[in-house]
Amino acid sequence: MEGLRRRNFLKLSALVTAALAGEGLTGWLRRLRAAALPVHGGEDPDPPNETVARLIHDCVGDREIKRGHVVLDMPDLAEDGRIVPVEINSDLPVAGDAYVKAVYLIVDFNPDPLVGAYHFSPANGPVALTTRIKMRRTSWIRAIVESSTGEVWADYKKVETTLNGCG
Amino acid sequence: MPEIGKAKIVIPARIAKGDVIRVQAIIQHPMDTGFFRDANANIIPPYFINNVVVAYGGTEVAQFVWTSGISRDPIVGFTLKADREAPLAVTWKDNKGGVYSTSVDIAFASS
Repeated sequence: MEGLRRRNFLKLSALVTAALAGEGLTGWLRRLRAAALPVHGGEDPDPPNETVARLIHDCVGDREIKRGHVVLDMPDLAEDGRIVPVEINSDLPVAGDAYVKAVYLIVDFNPDPLVGAYHFSPANGPVALTTRIKMRRTSWIRAIVESSTGEVWADYKKVETTLNGCG
Repeated sequence: MPEIGKAKIVIPARIAKGDVIRVQAIIQHPMDTGFFRDANANIIPPYFINNVVVAYGGTEVAQFVWTSGISRDPIVGFTLKADREAPLAVTWKDNKGGVYSTSVDIAFASS
């Protein structure tokens, strides 16, 4: 009995070691987190405070913010809060008078939550935006896309941060 | 030492008329937030790019408004419909009045 338990323990530690050696601690943690959390969907995060609520209102007014037509791609875990990669893609077409007018990138818990406002024109075609941002701490990120027809679409992502990149 | 304002625009090597291309614009800049202190505990004052203008053939096609929440040596990637041969210019402005500009020529592959 004692030996069996010991053997199981050894087997488990060998597995864990192999996993760690194979992809590093962060990759392993990310995989673990990805397995534990629903990949997409769920509730839209409410603005955590008055500042963020006012900011969103300043950007898009009272218009309804719907989820869809935008994909915000970021790592689940950002090891270094000073450099966090962001990719925003939208399938909203450029046709006639319709095009993506602006993309607002909001990090809820940053000292200055509106990190960037990107204004586009029909000359840009469909939107594919990449950048690198700083994060103070674990936070929801909002990618809000405003179309020239007045529609507002968004995607959200919660990103865990360990190292403060804002001071 | 980094050279503040050194900038570069990267576009695909071969472009055909009408392609939607990916443009990457990179500039060297500290993007100081004003929240950090140096080794002598003095606050490093805010110093960051707050405005970027993209012009294609002299016409403004995009404008980005940034805060110090953008990472040091900012890089931005965006799309552009290459519908004519013309210069693509990017101009960065920072909160201390610095203005930096660079451009590339959009030209179509002949074959």
